[in-house]
Amino acid sequence: SAAARRPWRLFGAMCLLRLPRITQPLEKEEEEMAALMEQIELEKSHYSDHEIRKLEEEEQLKRRKESLYDEDEASGKTVIMAQDLEEKWEQKFLRFKAAPRITDADKSNDRKSLNRKLDSNLMLLVKQKIGNQELWLLPQVEWQPGETLRNTAERAMATFLGDHIQAKILGNAPYGIYKYKFPRAIRTEDNVGAKVFFFKAFLQSSDLSQTKLKADHLWVTKKELGDYLKSEYLKKVNRFLLD
Amino acid sequence: PCRAQPKKKKKVDVKKEQAQKERMKKKIKKLEKAAPELIPIEDFITPLKYSESNRVRSLPALSPEESERRVLLLKKWCLFKQKQDEAEKKAIRALVESQQEALKELRLESEELYQAAIKRDERLFPFERDGPSYTPPLPGYDAPEGKCVDITKVYTQ
Repeated sequence: SAAARRPWRLFGAMCLLRLPRITQPLEKEEEEMAALMEQIELEKSHYSDHEIRKLEEEEQLKRRKESLYDEDEASGKTVIMAQDLEEKWEQKFLRFKAAPRITDADKSNDRKSLNRKLDSNLMLLVKQKIGNQELWLLPQVEWQPGETLRNTAERAMATFLGDHIQAKILGNAPYGIYKYKFPRAIRTEDNVGAKVFFFKAFLQSSDLSQTKLKADHLWVTKKELGDYLKSEYLKKVNRFLLD
Repeated sequence: PCRAQPKKKKKVDVKKEQAQKERMKKKIKKLEKAAPELIPIEDFITPLKYSESNRVRSLPALSPEESERRVLLLKKWCLFKQKQDEAEKKAIRALVESQQEALKELRLESEELYQAAIKRDERLFPFERDGPSYTPPLPGYDAPEGKCVDITKVYTQ
């Protein structure tokens, strides 16, 4: 602070990610390989106890059909066969209905909901007023002297999502930077432009019904960012987002 | 006569007992000196009942087309994995570059903010995260109850 005051204004922005809840669908090569691995494993394996029991019971059935006087052998013995057990298990499995991978929010493309696109990362975008424009941005606030940039980013998150948000911030260092110069009309010697430092955090609490979002917000995936962010901003943000 | 004999017995007994104790101690020392037995790893010993001949699967032999298909598939897989690995490394490199650029700009701005940014974050590790499952959790699902009995054998040396 002893040096001459730099003409850049500093902002801290938070990229809040909701991590995926379900696995991504397998690629074609992955599926083929998985099938091949299963086949090879089957070929290299030996029979299990259950399979031996099945084979023996099949033999018994065949013998009983061929020779008709086997009633004494069959009388006190096993009533439940391995085949019956397998059918029982199959029935039980079919009765269970798992939650669908494609949710209602997916079908209606409700971009405000967190239940959409459960297999990818979702990022928070808010509509903010910069200068005289309303833009879709990652939540950002201006840095105030006396706090570190990480605190600025946390404050940005709290401003838009409230204090009760639980997020794990990945470290003290910024992940990316976007710097831009103000339009000539506003630019002065002391106020050339702004530098926005991006921080990354993972959303821990899955229930956001408590928070009252103060501005327009959206949860979007990396591919959909292009619909909302300006190209230069988008380029810088894409560098630190892993898909 | 009554007094003398019991006395003798006691002395002889005491000596015999002491000799016995010493013999026991010597045996214990010998056992302890022998190297401790290695604890067998149960996973590495296949139980004998699984190597019986009736257990071997009888499947038809592989046709040459099938083995050809397998070899080609393995080659495709190799290429796929290589591309995947390169893409991952490229993404990580871009991430690191982006961070370095941000830190450079921050340093130009203010040394004190830069020092605060490169400090180690103590609260980050240990970092825990539940991995994704195939289907999302079903709200209101009552999982069936059961008891888990641990029958692993514990060896002492």
